Amino acid sequence: MLNKSIQTLVLACSLAAFTTNVYSETPEEKGLAIITAADERDTGWGDFTADMEMVLENRAGKQSIRKVTSRNLEVQGDGDKGLSLFKEPRDVRGTAMLTFTHGLDPDDQWLYLPAVKRVKRISSKNKSGPFMGSEFAFEDLGSQEIEKYTYKYLRDEVCGEGYECTVIERYPAYENSGYTKQIVWMDKEHYRAIKIEFYDRKEKLLKTLDFKGYNEYPGGFWRADTFLMQNHQTGKKTTLNWTNYEFSTGLSDKDFSKNSLQRLL
Amino acid sequence: MNRLSTLILFALLPLSLAVPAVETNTELAIIGQAFNSSDNSDAADQRLGLNLQTRLTHNTKSGNGTFVFQPFVSWDQRDDERNHTDIRELNYLHAFDNWEVQAGIGKVFWGVAESNHLVDVINQTDALEGIDGEDKLGQPMLRVSRLFEQSTLEFFALPGFRERAFLGPDSRFYLGLPIDDDKAQFQSDDGDNHVDYALRLSGYAGDLDYGVAYFDGTSREPSFIPGNEAGSVFLPYYAQMQQWSVDAQYTKEAWLWKLEALNNEQSSGSYSAAVAGLEYTFFGLRDGVLDTGVLLELHQDSRDDATNVLLQNDVFIGTRLAFNDEVDTALLVGGFVDLDDESTSLRVEGSRRVLTDAKLSIEGQIFGDIDPENRSFGFKDNDYIQLELQLFF
Repeated sequence: MLNKSIQTLVLACSLAAFTTNVYSETPEEKGLAIITAADERDTGWGDFTADMEMVLENRAGKQSIRKVTSRNLEVQGDGDKGLSLFKEPRDVRGTAMLTFTHGLDPDDQWLYLPAVKRVKRISSKNKSGPFMGSEFAFEDLGSQEIEKYTYKYLRDEVCGEGYECTVIERYPAYENSGYTKQIVWMDKEHYRAIKIEFYDRKEKLLKTLDFKGYNEYPGGFWRADTFLMQNHQTGKKTTLNWTNYEFSTGLSDKDFSKNSLQRLL
Repeated sequence: MNRLSTLILFALLPLSLAVPAVETNTELAIIGQAFNSSDNSDAADQRLGLNLQTRLTHNTKSGNGTFVFQPFVSWDQRDDERNHTDIRELNYLHAFDNWEVQAGIGKVFWGVAESNHLVDVINQTDALEGIDGEDKLGQPMLRVSRLFEQSTLEFFALPGFRERAFLGPDSRFYLGLPIDDDKAQFQSDDGDNHVDYALRLSGYAGDLDYGVAYFDGTSREPSFIPGNEAGSVFLPYYAQMQQWSVDAQYTKEAWLWKLEALNNEQSSGSYSAAVAGLEYTFFGLRDGVLDTGVLLELHQDSRDDATNVLLQNDVFIGTRLAFNDEVDTALLVGGFVDLDDESTSLRVEGSRRVLTDAKLSIEGQIFGDIDPENRSFGFKDNDYIQLELQLFF
């Protein structure tokens, strides 16, 4: 049922894209149309949970591991809600972060410190800061709302493991981003991100993110098992290994509240 | 808390591990402290301490109930008065649709300020674990919470009062007053069996996080009354109090604006106190990685009595550095200045991860020119540096 309505939507969107093509669509319009179609495809998932293992590796190959359980709730008409519960390293075990994303407005963010049982509202201005010392910035892991960027279609080409891809440039429209632009490779069949390049404030290539091991989950939602982020300026890299993806787990707003942070562990 | 009973409970821990779906987290802390040796007292210049705590959690099959048990043992190499055990938590929480009920020994935190926890009144301070007031004793409680979309209304019944422990002249951080804490006096005829009540509404609205609370019961902070005619010993006296408090934080961009305020009524009189402050963070300095926060907090107390109130008219200025590296290096440096008598102290706290998942912390405090009439005068010869290694199992 859901699948069917999504297919209809996608069909409608591609028809719209076709129609506007006739009237010589600008690259900006085409970029936005493709991203809108991709967003439609990933709408309606409701909620999901997953376990994330984060492998940090420095230039010398020395590794350190983090483990985080992630809960996500789709919010219609606003950004999604996310809750990250830290499991490892053990000195931060039980620490949790609750985020309400809001498109262009600043996110609401709370941190729970288990040793003192304190829930603390924190500034969400720190978009470009590293998440747990990794090569992922907070803005790389946040909910990707359409209005957070402006877009420009660049070209079509083969990418990843032989996918037919669309290449789109996007420019952060929110404040305090560490990037001037990102280039996104997206496969044409399922609208999945295959690769993203991040350009720093000096417009130099900073990082490349590769998505690997896509699986389709009930409802037609695709999630990658592996995110590999390489920092070209420092030689460091971070791999995210996702396991135990579960959709429609019955989570609700109640599970994403200041109060709920205190009884996770 | 009865030491024997806690030890028995610790001995029972291996049994509880046999219960399926019990999650165990144990923390062993090895603490070394060194003091400047100008102190004339008999207290040792170095001490070594061990703290052990285990947290067991079990979620019921339905997912709506949670058992928590967290015993704590502290041992000191030289100072018997610091040896103690406590049950930090032993409770069951059940979540209904929009309600939660928690019964047992628990811990809650109220407030927003960093340099003092003014309105945090439910749990007694574990004064044997340091002078910063961060460590708390487990409090027997029944908590009933009504959950709303952006707020929570909580009712607390608190049977069983926890007395504060005081250190003697042979201990570091002796306040200079000989206190016999085995003979605590209570205003209530029920003594330490008085049941306290509290009510709190907390939540957020936009960029504002708030809490409003009322507490009616035994004051966690005693005054001292002479224990004999010669005045050579003093007894803690726990009065009854009724206290209103508010705590609020306004978060905008890189600014945090904070306020805690209370009004306290006792039969001996009433007073008000407040801490107001701000924190501003410069994000992403030094190649976009280093965060530097600046903190300013102003403490006021209407009693205007520096001898009996530590933070009656004091300012705290500090800076917080987060290096955001793989080992979570963090540093906090701050100083208190008493605006009435110009007593000062400087405090440093730093930490980083070592090995795979152990944590090494450094803490130190230097007491500057402390006025003889100031509450903290007893600390003046207790400049110290502390190294702590926390191991997690």
